[in-house]
Amino acid sequence: MQRTVFQLHLNEIVRQAFFILFLSVVMGLVVNMIRPDSIPIIADWSTENRLTSESGETLIIPVLLAKALFEKNEAVFMDARDKNQFELGHIKGAKNLPWHSVDDYFMNIVQDLPNDKVIITYCDGESCDLSHNLALFLKKMGFNHVKILINGWSVWQEMNLPIEGSS
Amino acid sequence: MTNTKDAQSYKIGIFYHSIRLILAGVFIFASIDKILHPQAFAQAVFDYQVLPGSLINLVALILPWLELLVGASLLMNRWMSGAASIVTILISIFVGLIFFNLARGLDISCGCFSTDFDENPMTKLTMFRDILFLCLAFCLLILTIYKNNIRYKTQ
Repeated sequence: MQRTVFQLHLNEIVRQAFFILFLSVVMGLVVNMIRPDSIPIIADWSTENRLTSESGETLIIPVLLAKALFEKNEAVFMDARDKNQFELGHIKGAKNLPWHSVDDYFMNIVQDLPNDKVIITYCDGESCDLSHNLALFLKKMGFNHVKILINGWSVWQEMNLPIEGSS
Repeated sequence: MTNTKDAQSYKIGIFYHSIRLILAGVFIFASIDKILHPQAFAQAVFDYQVLPGSLINLVALILPWLELLVGASLLMNRWMSGAASIVTILISIFVGLIFFNLARGLDISCGCFSTDFDENPMTKLTMFRDILFLCLAFCLLILTIYKNNIRYKTQ
């Protein structure tokens, strides 16, 4: 008897839940098909694709190009990591604009930013998103020449390029 | 004796319908902005960094409709076993995800009621709010099972 009641509950829960879920799938997909601002069901969310504009311009800068701009003094490097990590070591001449405290630092940093130079944001690690977020934020704030050096701190050191810091 | 029993079932009924309507409102309200702005909600889903890229848009398209339909079921007091179960499972997942992302220090939008980051940052308060909703959902599920139990016995 107890088992039968349990089975009745379970059957009802599963049957109704699947019906609601099925209806949601149908509604979600059908409405997406007919709406003007529909999105693809499967999209490419890779870093490269997210950081490429519709015109095909990418925000990612290769390290060799970043190096060339550094040597010609045509770029400002922006370290998106926390203050402690920045003080331990950073790209020579870089400014610190920690993404997690961007509101506190932004006004001070932005006053010294030259308009004619490329702003290159970086952090550390292949999956580090701080530099991406900072770059997109700077673009939104009206800076047009913004690039991202992915895994910047590590690749910069690997190439033995100039660094500074307490360590 | 009968009067006491009636008063008790009346109180349970009031409690059941109150929870049902609160959660219906929460889920319907939560779904609207996400349905209106699928791309922004997909970005919020991506920011959680728990799903593979191929599933992000699919979840962003289906989840708001699931919330809406579950909310509508609760509102109409129909398919309550399924709706209460889905609500409990969904809120459990939300609490888990919020806890996970707060623990690893991700500074992202909750995406709970709005796709706008500034309106909806994820904080410890978000988690406490969702834990409260989870308690309500769990109560609703128990009460639904209790009501069904009575129905099965009378059949």
